[in-house]
Amino acid sequence: MSQNGDKLQIIAFCCHYCAYAAADLAGGMRLKYPPSIKVIELPCSGKINPVQVLKAFEQGADGVMVAG
Amino acid sequence: MIVAEQKPLNEIKTMIADAERVLLVGCGTCVTVCFAGGTKEVDLLATSLRMSTKLDGNGKVVDEFTVQRQCEWEYNEPLKEKLDDYDLVVSLGCGVGVQTLNEQFPQKQFVPGLNTAFMGLPTEQGVWEERCAACGNCILDKTGGICPIARCAKQLLNGPCGGSQNGVCEIESDVPCAWQLIWERANDLGQIDRLMELQPAKDWRTSRDGGPRKIVREDLRLVAHEEE
Repeated sequence: MSQNGDKLQIIAFCCHYCAYAAADLAGGMRLKYPPSIKVIELPCSGKINPVQVLKAFEQGADGVMVAG
Repeated sequence: MIVAEQKPLNEIKTMIADAERVLLVGCGTCVTVCFAGGTKEVDLLATSLRMSTKLDGNGKVVDEFTVQRQCEWEYNEPLKEKLDDYDLVVSLGCGVGVQTLNEQFPQKQFVPGLNTAFMGLPTEQGVWEERCAACGNCILDKTGGICPIARCAKQLLNGPCGGSQNGVCEIESDVPCAWQLIWERANDLGQIDRLMELQPAKDWRTSRDGGPRKIVREDLRLVAHEEE
Protein backbone atom coordinates (compact mmCIF):
# COMPACT_ATOMS: atom_id res chain seq x y z
CA MET A 1 0.00 0.00 0.00
CA SER A 2 1.25 3.48 -0.83
CA GLN A 3 2.53 5.60 2.03
CA ASN A 4 2.27 8.94 0.27
CA GLY A 5 -1.29 10.35 0.38
CA ASP A 6 -1.03 11.68 -3.19
CA LYS A 7 -0.13 8.25 -4.49
CA LEU A 8 -3.00 6.40 -2.87
CA GLN A 9 -4.95 4.62 -5.56
CA ILE A 10 -8.62 5.41 -5.03
CA ILE A 11 -11.34 3.94 -7.19
CA ALA A 12 -14.46 6.09 -7.25
CA PHE A 13 -17.62 4.45 -8.54
CA CYS A 14 -19.85 7.40 -9.42
CA CYS A 15 -23.52 7.62 -10.34
CA HIS A 16 -24.09 9.11 -13.79
CA TYR A 17 -26.80 11.42 -12.52
CA CYS A 18 -25.15 13.06 -9.51
CA ALA A 19 -21.61 12.21 -8.36
CA TYR A 20 -20.22 11.76 -11.87
CA ALA A 21 -21.86 15.01 -12.96
CA ALA A 22 -20.34 16.68 -9.88
CA ALA A 23 -16.89 15.37 -10.83
CA ASP A 24 -17.47 16.73 -14.31
CA LEU A 25 -18.45 20.10 -12.87
CA ALA A 26 -15.33 20.08 -10.68
CA GLY A 27 -13.32 19.63 -13.86
CA GLY A 28 -15.23 22.46 -15.56
CA MET A 29 -14.42 24.70 -12.58
CA ARG A 30 -10.73 23.75 -12.80
CA LEU A 31 -10.81 22.27 -9.29
CA LYS A 32 -7.92 19.87 -8.79
CA TYR A 33 -7.85 16.41 -7.25
CA PRO A 34 -5.04 13.84 -7.32
CA PRO A 35 -4.71 11.90 -10.60
CA SER A 36 -4.52 8.70 -8.55
CA ILE A 37 -8.28 8.93 -8.06
CA LYS A 38 -9.84 6.89 -10.82
CA VAL A 39 -13.48 7.67 -11.54
CA ILE A 40 -15.69 4.92 -12.94
CA GLU A 41 -19.07 6.03 -14.17
CA LEU A 42 -22.06 3.87 -13.37
CA PRO A 43 -25.61 4.28 -14.67
CA CYS A 44 -26.63 4.29 -10.99
CA SER A 45 -24.64 3.71 -7.78
CA GLY A 46 -27.21 0.99 -7.03
CA LYS A 47 -25.43 -0.98 -9.78
CA ILE A 48 -22.41 -1.54 -7.54
CA ASN A 49 -22.12 -4.91 -5.89
CA PRO A 50 -19.61 -6.19 -3.34
CA VAL A 51 -17.67 -8.15 -5.96
CA GLN A 52 -16.69 -4.95 -7.77
CA VAL A 53 -15.49 -3.38 -4.52
CA LEU A 54 -13.48 -6.48 -3.56
CA LYS A 55 -11.96 -6.78 -7.04
CA ALA A 56 -10.84 -3.16 -6.89
CA PHE A 57 -8.99 -3.93 -3.66
CA GLU A 58 -7.65 -7.19 -5.08
CA GLN A 59 -6.19 -5.34 -8.04
CA GLY A 60 -4.34 -2.90 -5.82
CA ALA A 61 -6.70 -0.08 -4.88
CA ASP A 62 -5.98 1.52 -1.50
CA GLY A 63 -9.54 2.74 -1.16
CA VAL A 64 -12.89 2.48 -2.88
CA MET A 65 -15.49 5.22 -2.91
CA VAL A 66 -19.09 4.70 -3.97
CA ALA A 67 -20.70 8.05 -4.64
CA GLY A 68 -24.28 8.59 -5.66
CA MET B 1 -36.03 -24.97 -3.01
CA ILE B 2 -33.03 -26.33 -1.16
CA VAL B 3 -31.78 -23.59 1.15
CA ALA B 4 -28.12 -23.32 2.07
CA GLU B 5 -25.67 -20.82 3.47
CA GLN B 6 -21.99 -20.32 2.93
CA LYS B 7 -19.52 -21.75 5.41
CA PRO B 8 -17.34 -19.26 7.29
CA LEU B 9 -14.33 -18.11 5.27
CA ASN B 10 -11.84 -19.54 7.78
CA GLU B 11 -13.43 -22.99 7.57
CA ILE B 12 -13.11 -22.92 3.78
CA LYS B 13 -9.52 -21.70 4.09
CA THR B 14 -8.73 -24.66 6.35
CA MET B 15 -10.20 -27.06 3.78
CA ILE B 16 -8.06 -25.65 0.96
CA ALA B 17 -4.91 -25.19 3.08
CA ASP B 18 -2.91 -27.92 1.31
CA ALA B 19 -3.93 -26.96 -2.22
CA GLU B 20 -2.14 -24.46 -4.44
CA ARG B 21 -4.70 -24.29 -7.22
CA VAL B 22 -8.36 -24.27 -6.27
CA LEU B 23 -11.50 -24.22 -8.41
CA LEU B 24 -14.78 -22.95 -6.99
CA VAL B 25 -17.84 -24.45 -8.66
CA GLY B 26 -21.20 -22.78 -8.22
CA CYS B 27 -24.64 -24.13 -8.99
CA GLY B 28 -27.24 -22.19 -10.98
CA THR B 29 -30.33 -23.64 -9.37
CA CYS B 30 -31.54 -23.62 -5.72
CA VAL B 31 -28.42 -22.14 -4.16
CA THR B 32 -28.40 -19.33 -6.71
CA VAL B 33 -31.87 -18.18 -5.75
CA CYS B 34 -31.06 -18.36 -2.04
CA PHE B 35 -27.91 -16.28 -2.67
CA ALA B 36 -25.52 -18.91 -1.33
CA GLY B 37 -23.71 -20.54 -4.26
CA GLY B 38 -24.50 -18.87 -7.59
CA THR B 39 -22.15 -17.08 -9.96
CA LYS B 40 -22.15 -13.95 -7.85
CA GLU B 41 -21.38 -15.73 -4.61
CA VAL B 42 -18.66 -17.82 -6.27
CA ASP B 43 -17.12 -14.60 -7.55
CA LEU B 44 -17.23 -13.03 -4.09
CA LEU B 45 -15.75 -16.07 -2.38
CA ALA B 46 -13.00 -16.43 -4.99
CA THR B 47 -11.94 -12.80 -4.59
CA SER B 48 -12.05 -13.11 -0.81
CA LEU B 49 -9.94 -16.30 -0.83
CA ARG B 50 -7.38 -14.86 -3.24
CA MET B 51 -6.93 -11.75 -1.12
CA SER B 52 -7.04 -13.54 2.21
CA THR B 53 -4.49 -16.20 1.26
CA LYS B 54 -2.25 -13.53 -0.25
CA LEU B 55 -2.37 -11.55 2.97
CA ASP B 56 -1.49 -14.75 4.86
CA GLY B 57 1.61 -15.04 2.70
CA ASN B 58 0.56 -18.13 0.72
CA GLY B 59 -1.49 -16.71 -2.13
CA LYS B 60 -3.41 -19.37 -4.04
CA VAL B 61 -4.82 -19.55 -7.53
CA VAL B 62 -8.58 -19.53 -7.05
CA ASP B 63 -10.68 -19.76 -10.21
CA GLU B 64 -14.42 -19.79 -10.70
CA PHE B 65 -16.94 -21.77 -12.69
CA THR B 66 -20.69 -22.22 -12.35
CA VAL B 67 -22.79 -25.02 -13.82
CA GLN B 68 -26.53 -24.84 -14.23
CA ARG B 69 -27.28 -27.82 -11.99
CA GLN B 70 -24.66 -29.75 -10.04
CA CYS B 71 -27.02 -32.59 -9.15
CA GLU B 72 -27.21 -33.99 -12.69
CA TRP B 73 -24.31 -35.62 -14.53
CA GLU B 74 -24.99 -33.91 -17.87
CA TYR B 75 -24.65 -30.40 -16.53
CA ASN B 76 -21.29 -31.17 -14.96
CA GLU B 77 -19.65 -32.42 -18.16
CA PRO B 78 -18.05 -29.03 -19.02
CA LEU B 79 -16.08 -29.34 -15.78
CA LYS B 80 -14.25 -32.44 -16.96
CA GLU B 81 -11.60 -30.68 -19.04
CA LYS B 82 -10.88 -28.10 -16.34
CA LEU B 83 -10.26 -30.41 -13.40
CA ASP B 84 -6.68 -31.37 -14.26
CA ASP B 85 -5.59 -27.78 -13.65
CA TYR B 86 -6.58 -27.85 -9.99
CA ASP B 87 -5.51 -29.59 -6.79
CA LEU B 88 -8.88 -29.26 -5.11
CA VAL B 89 -12.42 -28.18 -5.98
CA VAL B 90 -14.78 -26.38 -3.61
CA SER B 91 -18.40 -26.97 -4.54
CA LEU B 92 -20.86 -24.22 -3.74
CA GLY B 93 -23.74 -26.53 -4.50
CA CYS B 94 -25.92 -28.25 -1.91
CA GLY B 95 -24.84 -31.54 -0.35
CA VAL B 96 -26.30 -33.37 -3.34
CA GLY B 97 -24.12 -31.32 -5.69
CA VAL B 98 -20.94 -32.03 -3.74
CA GLN B 99 -21.65 -35.77 -3.74
CA THR B 100 -22.62 -35.82 -7.41
CA LEU B 101 -19.29 -34.23 -8.33
CA ASN B 102 -17.30 -36.64 -6.13
CA GLU B 103 -19.08 -39.63 -7.71
CA GLN B 104 -18.79 -38.31 -11.24
CA PHE B 105 -15.12 -37.31 -11.10
CA PRO B 106 -13.51 -39.69 -8.56
CA GLN B 107 -9.99 -38.64 -9.61
CA LYS B 108 -10.57 -35.26 -7.95
CA GLN B 109 -11.65 -34.26 -4.48
CA PHE B 110 -14.60 -31.92 -4.02
CA VAL B 111 -15.22 -30.26 -0.65
CA PRO B 112 -18.31 -28.33 0.47
CA GLY B 113 -18.34 -24.54 0.57
CA LEU B 114 -21.91 -24.44 1.85
CA ASN B 115 -23.91 -25.83 4.72
CA THR B 116 -27.12 -27.24 3.28
CA ALA B 117 -29.89 -26.29 5.66
CA PHE B 118 -33.40 -27.33 4.59
CA MET B 119 -36.15 -27.29 1.98
CA GLY B 120 -38.12 -24.12 2.24
CA LEU B 121 -39.14 -20.83 0.75
CA PRO B 122 -38.31 -17.15 1.09
CA THR B 123 -41.04 -15.60 3.26
CA GLU B 124 -39.58 -12.15 2.70
CA GLN B 125 -36.44 -10.75 1.08
CA GLY B 126 -33.52 -12.32 2.94
CA VAL B 127 -35.59 -14.70 5.09
CA TRP B 128 -36.05 -18.41 4.33
CA GLU B 129 -38.21 -20.82 6.31
CA GLU B 130 -38.43 -24.59 6.32
CA ARG B 131 -41.60 -26.05 4.84
CA CYS B 132 -40.95 -29.68 3.91
CA ALA B 133 -39.06 -32.43 5.74
CA ALA B 134 -39.30 -34.94 2.85
CA CYS B 135 -40.92 -37.55 5.10
CA GLY B 136 -41.99 -39.50 2.04
CA ASN B 137 -45.66 -39.75 3.01
CA CYS B 138 -47.40 -36.42 2.55
CA ILE B 139 -50.29 -35.55 4.86
CA LEU B 140 -50.88 -31.96 3.75
CA ASP B 141 -54.41 -32.92 2.63
CA LYS B 142 -55.27 -33.62 6.28
CA THR B 143 -53.69 -30.48 7.72
CA GLY B 144 -54.93 -27.72 5.44
CA GLY B 145 -51.67 -27.52 3.53
CA ILE B 146 -49.58 -26.78 6.62
CA CYS B 147 -47.00 -29.42 7.49
CA PRO B 148 -46.74 -30.45 11.15
CA ILE B 149 -43.73 -32.62 10.33
CA ALA B 150 -41.64 -29.71 9.09
CA ARG B 151 -43.16 -26.93 11.17
CA CYS B 152 -44.06 -28.46 14.54
CA ALA B 153 -40.98 -28.85 16.75
CA LYS B 154 -42.37 -32.16 18.04
CA GLN B 155 -43.81 -33.32 14.71
CA LEU B 156 -47.15 -33.90 16.40
CA LEU B 157 -50.02 -35.34 14.38
CA ASN B 158 -53.04 -34.73 16.59
CA GLY B 159 -53.01 -31.14 17.72
CA PRO B 160 -50.75 -28.80 19.67
CA CYS B 161 -48.81 -29.55 22.84
CA GLY B 162 -48.78 -27.49 26.03
CA GLY B 163 -45.92 -25.41 24.69
CA SER B 164 -48.26 -23.61 22.33
CA GLN B 165 -49.05 -20.22 23.85
CA ASN B 166 -51.04 -17.54 22.04
CA GLY B 167 -50.27 -19.15 18.73
CA VAL B 168 -46.52 -19.23 19.34
CA CYS B 169 -44.27 -22.26 19.85
CA GLU B 170 -42.31 -22.42 23.08
CA ILE B 171 -39.02 -23.01 21.27
CA GLU B 172 -38.77 -19.46 19.91
CA SER B 173 -40.94 -16.37 20.06
CA ASP B 174 -40.91 -15.94 16.28
CA VAL B 175 -41.96 -19.52 15.51
CA PRO B 176 -45.70 -19.89 15.06
CA CYS B 177 -47.33 -23.01 16.46
CA ALA B 178 -47.95 -25.20 13.41
CA TRP B 179 -51.07 -26.66 14.99
CA GLN B 180 -52.48 -23.22 15.70
CA LEU B 181 -51.97 -22.44 12.00
CA ILE B 182 -53.55 -25.76 11.03
CA TRP B 183 -56.56 -25.11 13.27
CA GLU B 184 -57.07 -21.58 11.90
CA ARG B 185 -56.75 -22.80 8.34
CA ALA B 186 -59.24 -25.62 8.94
CA ASN B 187 -61.60 -23.10 10.53
CA ASP B 188 -61.32 -20.83 7.47
CA LEU B 189 -62.00 -23.79 5.19
CA GLY B 190 -64.92 -24.95 7.34
CA GLN B 191 -63.16 -28.26 7.91
CA ILE B 192 -62.65 -28.35 11.68
CA ASP B 193 -64.49 -31.67 11.80
CA ARG B 194 -61.73 -33.28 9.74
CA LEU B 195 -59.19 -32.49 12.47
CA MET B 196 -61.25 -34.56 14.90
CA GLU B 197 -60.26 -37.70 13.07
CA LEU B 198 -57.51 -39.34 15.09
CA GLN B 199 -54.23 -39.81 13.22
CA PRO B 200 -52.41 -43.05 14.04
CA ALA B 201 -48.67 -43.08 14.67
CA LYS B 202 -46.89 -42.15 11.46
CA ASP B 203 -45.11 -44.77 9.44
CA TRP B 204 -41.62 -43.34 9.40
CA ARG B 205 -40.18 -46.02 7.16
CA THR B 206 -40.64 -43.70 4.17
CA SER B 207 -38.59 -41.08 5.98
CA ARG B 208 -34.98 -41.32 7.08
CA ASP B 209 -35.83 -44.13 9.51
CA GLY B 210 -35.87 -46.52 6.57
CA GLY B 211 -32.31 -45.61 5.61
CA PRO B 212 -31.25 -43.89 2.38
CA ARG B 213 -34.20 -43.60 0.02
CA LYS B 214 -34.49 -44.37 -3.64
CA ILE B 215 -37.20 -44.06 -6.28
CA VAL B 216 -37.15 -46.31 -9.32
CA ARG B 217 -39.44 -45.54 -12.27
CA GLU B 218 -39.29 -48.52 -14.58
CA ASP B 219 -41.24 -46.62 -17.25
CA LEU B 220 -38.43 -44.08 -17.46
CA ARG B 221 -35.43 -46.35 -17.18
CA LEU B 222 -33.48 -46.81 -20.42
CA VAL B 223 -31.85 -50.03 -19.21
CA ALA B 224 -35.23 -51.63 -18.44
CA HIS B 225 -36.47 -50.96 -21.99
CA GLU B 226 -33.33 -52.36 -23.54
CA GLU B 227 -33.73 -55.59 -21.57
CA GLU B 228 -37.30 -56.16 -22.84
